Amino acid sequence: MTEVTIWSGWIGGIAIGTYALFQFYLTGNPLGVSSAFTDACSLVTPGPFFKKNRQENGFSWRIWFVLGIPLGGFIAALTSPGPLVASFSLGPLYDSVLPAVPWVRSLVLTFGGVLLGLGSRMAGGCTSGHSITGLGLLNPPSLLASIGFFVGGILIVQILFNVLG
Amino acid sequence: MYVNKKLLGPGFLALGALFGFLLSRAGATTYDFYAQLFLFQDFQLLWVIAVAAGLGALVHSLIGYRRSSPPKAILTAAALSYKGKPYRRSLVPGSIIFGIGWGLAGACPGTALAMLGEGKLGSLWTLGGFFVGTLLFGLKENFRMNKAVPVQG
Repeated sequence: MTEVTIWSGWIGGIAIGTYALFQFYLTGNPLGVSSAFTDACSLVTPGPFFKKNRQENGFSWRIWFVLGIPLGGFIAALTSPGPLVASFSLGPLYDSVLPAVPWVRSLVLTFGGVLLGLGSRMAGGCTSGHSITGLGLLNPPSLLASIGFFVGGILIVQILFNVLG
Repeated sequence: MYVNKKLLGPGFLALGALFGFLLSRAGATTYDFYAQLFLFQDFQLLWVIAVAAGLGALVHSLIGYRRSSPPKAILTAAALSYKGKPYRRSLVPGSIIFGIGWGLAGACPGTALAMLGEGKLGSLWTLGGFFVGTLLFGLKENFRMNKAVPVQG
């Protein structure tokens, strides 16, 4: 697994907070990731929900934005001291609790992704939209959503490590 | 200052790259930080979220909230909206479902994308699942909207 350079939490927070402000005041579009997936799905999926979204957003700035994110991860890996390694490992903790059989592990990660997709649409946003942007706006529904994110995360990780593990 | 609309796409590609880079440096692309966060062992990512949100609140309150007319975006001249996302009935169950996916996959949508660039290939499955989850929600909405507007004839 690629070992990337990691800053202290508070420096990372200042960097990401500054970035979110930069994007907002420069473009007027608040930081958010998950809606891009709806926009991308809308380009190829029939039905009134997707049609409405396609007419409103089209090939949106969000799609461009999420296409750039892997590029940033790639640059971050290249500028870290260690080599860039392509691997299905998740690191020692997750590797110790997730199934070792590759296809079973893929199913677990896919299922996690399904929950992320469904959950972010039901909640109206993900970690970036609700927790970075929304909490920055002191928006009560975003605080509620952020608490929900943590409740779900604590629930499943405690079960994974302390009940099943 | 106005910017040519055609430049906005590539501009957002570059912004995405910057965001992805910072997610990686902040530790948000390191799977085990999520496990450690939810096991209360390491609060790296809590610091990242809290400081980022706190900085946002501070700057917004200095620049935006107190003005009678809201400022405009520097590049696009779009009026800045400080109105956050609205409450909806599915918000609480949705956020908990999201959280379960967050802890299970050790990633959220943005970080899974950045992980892909770092060669963490497990995120391919997570992102595939993310599309499926988004589609499921859309299909449910399709069904609801079809029912709300009866087909003529």
